[in-house]
Amino acid sequence: MKQDKHGKNHKFGMVVDLDKCTGCGSCMVACMSENNVPFKEDESNKKDSLTWMRVYKITNGKSFPETEICYMPRPCMHCGGKGDHGHSPCVSVCPAVATDYDHSSGIVSQIYTRCFGCRYCMGACPYHARYFNWWDPKWPEGMESYLSPDVSPRMRGVVEKCSFCFHRYQEARDLAYVEERDDIEEQEYQTACTQACPAGAITFGDLNNPDHAVSQLVEPDAHNCGKPKNPKAFRLLERLQTNPKVYYVSEREWVRKAGDNYLDGEWEKVKNNHGKDHG
Amino acid sequence: MKIDRRSFLGLGLGAAAGVAVSPATWKLMDDSSIWTQNWSWTPVPRDGEVTFDNTVCSLCPGNCGLSVRKIDGRPVKIEGRADYPVNTGGVCLHGVSGLQYLYDPSRIKTPLKRTGDTFEAISWDDALELVATKLAEIKDAGKADRIACVTNHGVGTIPGLFGRFVKALGSNNVYAMDTMDKTWEKTLEKMHGVHGTLGFDLENSDFVLSFGTGLIEGWGSPVSNFKANSSRKERGATLVQVEPRLSNTAANADTWIAAKPNTEADLALGMANVIISNNLYNTGYYVSGFGPGFDELTAMLKENYSPEAVAQTTGIKAAVIVDLAKRFVKAGAPVAIAGKGKGATPGSMREFAAVHLLNCLAGNINTKGGAWILSPQDYDQWPAVEMDDAASEAIEKPAMDPAGSVAGFFAKAGADKSVEALLISDANPCFALADAQAVTKAVQDIPFVVSFSSFMDETTQLADVVLPSHTFLERTEDLPSGAGMARRVTGLAKPVIDPVFNTKNPGDAILAIAKAMEGTVGDSFPWESYEECLEAVTGDLWSDLSDQGYAAVQETPPATRPSVDFTFVAQNPAPIAAEGTEADFALILVPLDNVRIAAGSIASSPFAVKTVADTVLLGKDVLVEMNPETAKANKLSQGDLAVIETPRGKATVKVNLFEGIMPGVVAMVKGLGHAMDENRYVNGKGVNINELMGPVMDADSGLDAVWGIRAKISKA
Amino acid sequence: MFWGSMSNCIINILIDGVFMSELEEKTENGSVGAVEEGASGEQKAGGDSGVGYGVLFFIGAFVVCFLSGWLLFPNLLYSKKEQPFNFNHALHVEEMGGCDSCHFFREDGSFSGMPKTASCLECHEELLGETEDEAIFVAEYVEKEKEVPWLIYSEQPDCVFFSHAAHVVKAGMDCRSCHGDIGESTTTKTYEENRITGYSRDIWGKSIWGIKKNSWDRMKMDDCAECHQEETGSKGACFQCHK
Repeated sequence: MKQDKHGKNHKFGMVVDLDKCTGCGSCMVACMSENNVPFKEDESNKKDSLTWMRVYKITNGKSFPETEICYMPRPCMHCGGKGDHGHSPCVSVCPAVATDYDHSSGIVSQIYTRCFGCRYCMGACPYHARYFNWWDPKWPEGMESYLSPDVSPRMRGVVEKCSFCFHRYQEARDLAYVEERDDIEEQEYQTACTQACPAGAITFGDLNNPDHAVSQLVEPDAHNCGKPKNPKAFRLLERLQTNPKVYYVSEREWVRKAGDNYLDGEWEKVKNNHGKDHG
Repeated sequence: MKIDRRSFLGLGLGAAAGVAVSPATWKLMDDSSIWTQNWSWTPVPRDGEVTFDNTVCSLCPGNCGLSVRKIDGRPVKIEGRADYPVNTGGVCLHGVSGLQYLYDPSRIKTPLKRTGDTFEAISWDDALELVATKLAEIKDAGKADRIACVTNHGVGTIPGLFGRFVKALGSNNVYAMDTMDKTWEKTLEKMHGVHGTLGFDLENSDFVLSFGTGLIEGWGSPVSNFKANSSRKERGATLVQVEPRLSNTAANADTWIAAKPNTEADLALGMANVIISNNLYNTGYYVSGFGPGFDELTAMLKENYSPEAVAQTTGIKAAVIVDLAKRFVKAGAPVAIAGKGKGATPGSMREFAAVHLLNCLAGNINTKGGAWILSPQDYDQWPAVEMDDAASEAIEKPAMDPAGSVAGFFAKAGADKSVEALLISDANPCFALADAQAVTKAVQDIPFVVSFSSFMDETTQLADVVLPSHTFLERTEDLPSGAGMARRVTGLAKPVIDPVFNTKNPGDAILAIAKAMEGTVGDSFPWESYEECLEAVTGDLWSDLSDQGYAAVQETPPATRPSVDFTFVAQNPAPIAAEGTEADFALILVPLDNVRIAAGSIASSPFAVKTVADTVLLGKDVLVEMNPETAKANKLSQGDLAVIETPRGKATVKVNLFEGIMPGVVAMVKGLGHAMDENRYVNGKGVNINELMGPVMDADSGLDAVWGIRAKISKA
Repeated sequence: MFWGSMSNCIINILIDGVFMSELEEKTENGSVGAVEEGASGEQKAGGDSGVGYGVLFFIGAFVVCFLSGWLLFPNLLYSKKEQPFNFNHALHVEEMGGCDSCHFFREDGSFSGMPKTASCLECHEELLGETEDEAIFVAEYVEKEKEVPWLIYSEQPDCVFFSHAAHVVKAGMDCRSCHGDIGESTTTKTYEENRITGYSRDIWGKSIWGIKKNSWDRMKMDDCAECHQEETGSKGACFQCHK
């Protein structure tokens, strides 16, 4: 019997440099185009607008001319859950096993044909990263011709979300197989948003691999749920212990603080020992 | 024995048992659950062999290299071309959305002829014959000088063919849509006495001082600027943004200087005063290149632009001005840049000259990281145009707008109604020019309008004949870089798909019309096809273009530094005032460029519209941005429906409060408010700001220098 | 589990039905105690004849439904489609070598699947042999430069991602493990399409009960999972095979 296991597990993750992000929206469109995400006549109701990758705009709340803004791209966080056991908020509640945690890649999968649209996962996701197809997708006449065979178009009534362009991983592995290599190179598997970003703000790779840029940028602490050792790095709602695999980096303190909700005085306690803080 | 209820019971039970032990039920259950997973109307994209085709994007003047992923020859995804010298792999959202333009619902599928209020589909032969006949009639009537063409970009061989065609007929009325490049050209003529354009070596500059440019909002060559901006930190470079509103560029900059609207030139002149009075200017360039007017300039600045006076005008503290001037001029490779927003409109020459003055004083002309004075693109070498007597006579008459401004041309056309025929290629002036209503009226008054467009846009809707064009993904075209780029690269767009509809390359359409007209007009176009023409006129460049998809024309700064003539700035030209009086209109409305909205000749794609925030577009309403203070003074709050009124018109909008905009200033995004019935993704969404703003012609450059307009706003 | 609960449910309904009807009959005949003797006697007599017909009807219905389920249903469920023309795999294997001479891996690691007409041109530029099938191929597809619209027996739905590279190259599996003896076939069999799902019959398998003797008899998800469980110790992650 041939060995089908791929050595040690990957843990694919993303680092977004918020000081580089310009809010241009290339990542959003690259994602939509890569993943056959449909569009409607009116997309201004953002609650029903399917955007696997969404760029949020945050401000420091100060008045003119002290105002600052920052753009924050938000894909699916691919939460590993506490201790990286795969108990991400969505996976824990899915009654259909339509969404699942893959330990070999650290990616949270979504199988559209399995989903029956109960939307528990949407309620459970603290990042609003999941979207429900309220309508059947419709393309203007002829436009179906540009759909990619790598990702199935979804139907009405199912939930969809970012997959870290998992199909690109599959394709990279296929190439490695036929070239009889054991594993893929860092550059062989990059998400569509990473590739498109004109500012180079997004970095993608294996957080378990110390040679990969993502590991070097945030220095995830393997003994502390992957918390970043880099004091300029943070994760969204870190204290929920969802253990996301998307990290953000910013030199600006107010931006880092915006990554979670802090009571008065709380931020002062954690801001300097960020990364060393347990729990 | 009788048949009773038990018999039926037996029948039912027997049937149930029979079915139960047959496979039917179980198989049907499985099949029906599968059936629910595959609806016939959910498309199933066909799989196949993956290939990549390279081409060049022409949706904006950036001209990025694209790599188009195809499945069995069917394009499915656009990505940035990693080995392309402009964008090295990056790509903006409009480029990524490119495939949507192929199947855009407003695409024109076949040639059209106007009959009354509607269009009638006709054959290409008939359409070309119709245009040739009509133009010949005008020419034969001795009115050839009243034929005009308007193209989108002014460079490259397709605009070249249009210009040549109109010249061969005997007219000088050849226009391209105005951009900041035109203002730079005029500024260079005034300040260096050279014909050329200005490029900025942003990727090597260590101090970029931007006067309202949207460096990361689509200015110039967007992706190239994104990259330069992004590498700033690694290079230890600084970006200072001068702007009354916290744009994305301002937010991303190291320092944001919130100067009052339209005081950019004052700030630049104030800085120049600090630099000169402290003898901080580049002495080498002073000796070798500072020409006439320097003493007059020194005196003028001393008199009018002391830090205190400038602080008064701009609202920036005098100490900040002095410090900024010193930091700028002492930097290793500083560069000052102008051209508001995306740089898609010309702007005031006073402002451009004042900003360029800083470059001259810093001595960074034609240096690494500085401003490069580039000679005009001249790789395309055309044979002489042949003209008969009528054409030779007609060409003696001057162009309707001597400055070459398309805004000026339409103003004249609207005023004297003297244009006999207009050819429009890839441009949409009825949407993109200030005072869109007046431009529309002017076009309506032209008896014969031919549109070479891919889409049924506002201008094409007014055409008499529509000759549908290939989109950029279906055509061959040379695309020279411009738009503020220092390095020069000419790209070659190549078709990545067979034409989806019955369209032509506009270059081929022009060739066909010229041939149909015969005589010297036909003789001026000796090529069988546009591609043959392209290969012939690009000469030396062709092998690079065809082999690698681009040709790098210039990568290092020009060797010589032209001398500086300070006379124009020393005369202290007057600022361009906003239309309207403060008494009637207390606020100032400024247009703002949003990188996610295409504001030029092409409408935004459905994907691009989808990314637009709900604080910019909500349903069909555009939101105008104002400081909470402004809102309070006008009794407005977030989300209110309001009427905004300017001297040029009024519109219903919604209110979006934003702390980052200067009180007293209201901003509205450009590129919304399309009237394109077929394209429901843009049609009727928001308001076209060009309907609220008119052109303000700059006497110094002859170009439209509008930067805003006075306005008032009240609850609807 | 689903099957179990469904069959329990059906059995319950049947039991309920029988019990209820007996109870109803009893109450119709008045108080149970008072006329017990006569009632039961009458019932017995009537019951006998009723049961007779009932059983007859039961058996009749059972046989009809049972046979239709076995014989008629499969014929109704599948529509039969013929391939554009007959293809002789055995002959091509003999001439060309192994499966991968036509069904190969592309350079990017993807699997080419059905060969394109262009790849047949080397031999079939002009008529090769005198069969009617060859004539159709050359006239309809080679000369018109069209692809042959083969009906693919092993075609999986759009939601399935299948990596030939992982199975054939990495795991070293034989084509036969999933595709059986198709390489030895001399004719193309009739394609049977499930009218409800649109899938090929070979996915569920020829046996209407879905019973398989060989590994290539069925191509349902359970069959993939079974082999994955055996070979890798896990059924695998969902998105390993679904997209």
